[in-house]
Amino acid sequence: MIGTSAPLALTMHLAWVSSISFGGFPTVLPDVRNFVVSANGWMTDQEFANLFAMAQTIPGPNMILMMSFVGWKVWGFPGALASAFATFGPPCTMYFTAYRLWDRFRGARWQRVVRLGLAPVVVGLVIASGTVMARTADNSWQAAAFTIATAAITLATRLNPLWMLLAGGLLGGLGFLE
Amino acid sequence: MTDLDQTGKVEQALHLRTLFTAFLAISLCGVGGGSGIVWARRIAVENRGWVTDGEFSDIISLCQFMPGPNIIGIAVCVGAKMRGAIGAIAALCGFLVIPWTVGLSLGLLYLQYANLIALRNILGGIATSAAGLLIATGVRLLRPHRHRSASLLFAALAFSLITFGKLPLFAVLFSVVPLSILVAGIEAARAR
Repeated sequence: MIGTSAPLALTMHLAWVSSISFGGFPTVLPDVRNFVVSANGWMTDQEFANLFAMAQTIPGPNMILMMSFVGWKVWGFPGALASAFATFGPPCTMYFTAYRLWDRFRGARWQRVVRLGLAPVVVGLVIASGTVMARTADNSWQAAAFTIATAAITLATRLNPLWMLLAGGLLGGLGFLE
Repeated sequence: MTDLDQTGKVEQALHLRTLFTAFLAISLCGVGGGSGIVWARRIAVENRGWVTDGEFSDIISLCQFMPGPNIIGIAVCVGAKMRGAIGAIAALCGFLVIPWTVGLSLGLLYLQYANLIALRNILGGIATSAAGLLIATGVRLLRPHRHRSASLLFAALAFSLITFGKLPLFAVLFSVVPLSILVAGIEAARAR
């Protein structure tokens, strides 16, 4: 059975990994899996994998939600709430402090240099995360073609992206993307 | 809604409620890992004009270097820019509170029907277009850099290392970024 200290242990662990999750929360997922599945046995490997698949398709703060489901499993609603706070609390404090610092030195010469160097790399990373996502999502040439079409239409027009998501859901639901 | 006067005192006029609803919309529209950035840019840059494309790139860069879900960093930074600490909290609450509640309820339902093929196909189709949207957003963000060859080179390098090299983001950030900043520094020193 799950002991009384389990929720606390989970919350502390999540607060710790969220503080070191450089490059986004998915980078520490293997560590969370070890803690939750192997070390403590709170859920099975399959359950953990299902949570991840679901988090990928749900709108909103999906990694926070995924951790909330883990918390739910351990301690119901309070566990879900505690896990959510542990996941976004520490990084948020850091974002705010960093933004304040960055803002204070606005216009400094070194900041212009850093920005000039940093911005193109980050843009490259954004495009890369799109292609990485496409690689997981597109299991057929139809799906790949639809991803390319979405990118092209979005670039060429100012069409609301919701229409493309809707079209994707429709085509997928009717089985045209398999 | 907001009264923009000539002195640019947007901060004074902007309601916390406006920040809350804007980030609520961004949150609800962002399906699939990473695509929230698409909506953050569309709403905060294109529709509202709260931040310029340049500032938006700054914020993303800043967030990439921090731990945690980066998209939340956008909410915190844009909120902080518009209304300080209270603005950051308003944007964050907009981003989290309702989507989290809805997501938790939906998720508990979804886990029961996870094997429903039609549902899986619909979500798969949405992920397919979400990937395309993300690529388009990246290309849009690249446009301001298209006249500087070093920018294009480093963007291509970062892209390739992740896409083809399959290196972890962490490794790419801490190897390519110092190099890119070094080149920018040399350029700046020469221009002086």
